Amino acid sequence: MLLEISDVQKRFGGLVALQGIDFSVEEGETLGIMGANGAGKTTLFSLIAGHAKPSQGKITLAGQQIDGMRPDQINALGIARTYQIVRPFRGLTVLENVAAGALYGSRQEKDMQRANDFAMEILSVVGLEGRTNDLAGNLTLAGFKRLELAKALATGPKILLLDEVMAGLTPNEVNEAIAIIETCKQKYSLTVIIIEHVMKALMRMCERIVVLHHGEMIAMGAPDKIAEDDAVIQAYLGAEK
Amino acid sequence: MKRLSLLAIIAAVLVLGSLAGFASEYMLGIGFTLFMYIALAQSWVILSGMTGYISLGHVVFFGSGAYVFVLLWGLVPVWLGVAISGLVVGIGALIIGYPVLRVRGPYFVILSFGLAELVKNLVLINDARLYKSLRPVFGAPPLEQLYLSMFILAVIATALTYWVRRSRFGAGLRSIREDEGAAETIGVLVARLKLFAFALSAIIPSMVGAIFIMRSGIFQPGDAFNPIVSFTMVTMAIIGGSDDAPGPFLGVAFLVILQELLWVNWPEVYMIILGALLIGFVLFMPTGIYGWLSERLARSRQNAS
Amino acid sequence: MDIFLSFQLLAAALITGVLYALISLGLNLIYGTMRLLNVAHGDLVMIGAYVAFMAFSLFNVGPLVSMFGAAVICGGLGWLAYRSIFQRMLSNSLLLTRLEENSLLLFFGISVIIQNLVILFFTADRQGYQYLSEIIEIGDVRLTTARLVVLIVGSVISIAAVLYLRFSMFGLAMNALIQNRDASAVVGINVDRVQMSSLVIGFGITGLAGALISVMEPITPVMGFPYTMSAFVIIILGGLGNIWGGFLAGLLLGFLEIFGIAATGPEWRSVLVYGIFIAILIFRPQGLLGSGKAAR
Repeated sequence: MLLEISDVQKRFGGLVALQGIDFSVEEGETLGIMGANGAGKTTLFSLIAGHAKPSQGKITLAGQQIDGMRPDQINALGIARTYQIVRPFRGLTVLENVAAGALYGSRQEKDMQRANDFAMEILSVVGLEGRTNDLAGNLTLAGFKRLELAKALATGPKILLLDEVMAGLTPNEVNEAIAIIETCKQKYSLTVIIIEHVMKALMRMCERIVVLHHGEMIAMGAPDKIAEDDAVIQAYLGAEK
Repeated sequence: MKRLSLLAIIAAVLVLGSLAGFASEYMLGIGFTLFMYIALAQSWVILSGMTGYISLGHVVFFGSGAYVFVLLWGLVPVWLGVAISGLVVGIGALIIGYPVLRVRGPYFVILSFGLAELVKNLVLINDARLYKSLRPVFGAPPLEQLYLSMFILAVIATALTYWVRRSRFGAGLRSIREDEGAAETIGVLVARLKLFAFALSAIIPSMVGAIFIMRSGIFQPGDAFNPIVSFTMVTMAIIGGSDDAPGPFLGVAFLVILQELLWVNWPEVYMIILGALLIGFVLFMPTGIYGWLSERLARSRQNAS
Repeated sequence: MDIFLSFQLLAAALITGVLYALISLGLNLIYGTMRLLNVAHGDLVMIGAYVAFMAFSLFNVGPLVSMFGAAVICGGLGWLAYRSIFQRMLSNSLLLTRLEENSLLLFFGISVIIQNLVILFFTADRQGYQYLSEIIEIGDVRLTTARLVVLIVGSVISIAAVLYLRFSMFGLAMNALIQNRDASAVVGINVDRVQMSSLVIGFGITGLAGALISVMEPITPVMGFPYTMSAFVIIILGGLGNIWGGFLAGLLLGFLEIFGIAATGPEWRSVLVYGIFIAILIFRPQGLLGSGKAAR
């Protein structure tokens, strides 16, 4: 297995955000994470990507323990993430945004021209090739999402953490997004962990889904099994809408 | 097109440099001030324009360089003294930069100001202890040489900013400016880059300070660490544009002309206008004149295609 | 060692501390409710001082009366600033983001303008006046009457202000805003009015402090700056937005300064204040009491 989350717990003062999180991710897999708002999904990503440390438990990447490392160190080891609320470099052009990832991610590109070329390649995969010299701050929401993906891809990751990239997209845009993610996964041999509320996306893209509820794992398995799981149905239909 | 502008730049450099040979004392004086502020503003841009860590106390490097130089006066050859000032202050910046840069946003701004005042007062105390209230500098090189050296520093500073802006280093710095957390997420070594920019931005101002002392003939802590120098540097870069090398030229030209017109007779009016300009540009044209021009150019190219 | 047991120094430290507490109260209010770092804060002290000076020179009115005038004038400036600048900002979100990111540079520009306007009207010369300058003795301590009065008045006003903010409905609303602006709006607090009031009160108290200071110090257009720096040290030391913390930190800084200078020499004052400031920002940005927000 490529990524191992072992009995991870995260407390913020008295609040237990995550507890007993234990699963592993195989190389080449697409793993989905679902759960209501506040279930702890983004917290989990923050732990994996190095923005926070687990209060308990370990996170291992290809046998190496990575919890406690800085975000840039973890990125250098091959994990890239997108942000739920996008964080583009607004004052830079779209090309400069993505090139930055190529220059500093795990690829550590030293040559500006090569970084720009690689950025161009990624931008055409995500469909932003027409806007390379625009200021990133001027994009539409869908554009921001593509840029967020492109930046993460440019760092040359082995594992890609996608945090609700489909939020706010129209059904057509969601289909496009799914297509782009699958293309990227193929082209760059990625392992993908994806947090989503858009069920269609999770069902289509994932081999396995982990369900979180109030910080705990209540189910894990293939999408069709999850859809019929009692605990999941209770959590979603019983507790919320 | 690119080759033509490169030739034009080289020609301008040669002409301005050779002015040292035959221009009047008054012209050389203005040129000196002009190039001094260009060197200072460009150096400021390397740190504050690129990383967004606005330093309101950059005069600390200017004054420290001047002080080191004055302490060495008479002990080492003049130009070696200038070089040593740059080296010493650069290393000093590396040392204090590490804790200082951990402070972000507006607190960094105030901190940088406090740092300049702190060093100024330490120098005052030290000199008082040595019974030196003024340090005159006699036998400095003639104005033509001082002009030429300031000119060279301005050229180097501009080239440095130009290079940084287009380099991998600059890409990292600018991403820090836009969103430091997101930059870290894509692997930018934030602490290291900030520190390097900080130290780099200190070297030329310290040498400028040393040369300035030779021109003014005397070292006084109040003048060498004058906050107005910081303030002027910042305003020039903000007015002209702080994201690329051409920006400071516009800001410096603008303000030096204004200064020439107003400073002698109405210094307060000059300062009030400076304050108003700072406020106006920060609110309405934060990328400066050059930034605004570039954006318009890019937009009209976009509309055409 | 005797020095540290001196009541004379104690009195000086108390006076300085009380004034610092008063001045930083205003800054804390403004920062706490609107997250604005007003580097022109000390210039309000200066304005208050000039108001008192003019009141005395032109109308022979002492600072105990003119301090209210100073408070009103500075409070009025706060009102003006709010109506003209901030309310406009609130409607233009682009300007608002720019304001928050750049409030420091903006206030710096304002400070430069204010100081130079004052120089134009009053010249840069030091001004001053004599008021209640008879010296009285209380035990070992020799003070001018004016300083004693300043101590008493300053203590009363600062304690009253802190208590008011703690216990009144309005103070409660302000504290709520300081802790969580969005939640305050949700529970029905009129955010706009509270913000405006904090600007008015904050500016007003600072102007009042300036009037008190005017009997103790030479009055110059640049006198405000050391107070700005000290106020920043204090509010960070006490925890940003923490009113009680700021009060105690103000007293503490007064003591540190006076006793520190006694131990080393007056020329060390700036080094002391800036040194503490830098040390706090780097090593303990959440302040000594730790309950305020962190300055990072």
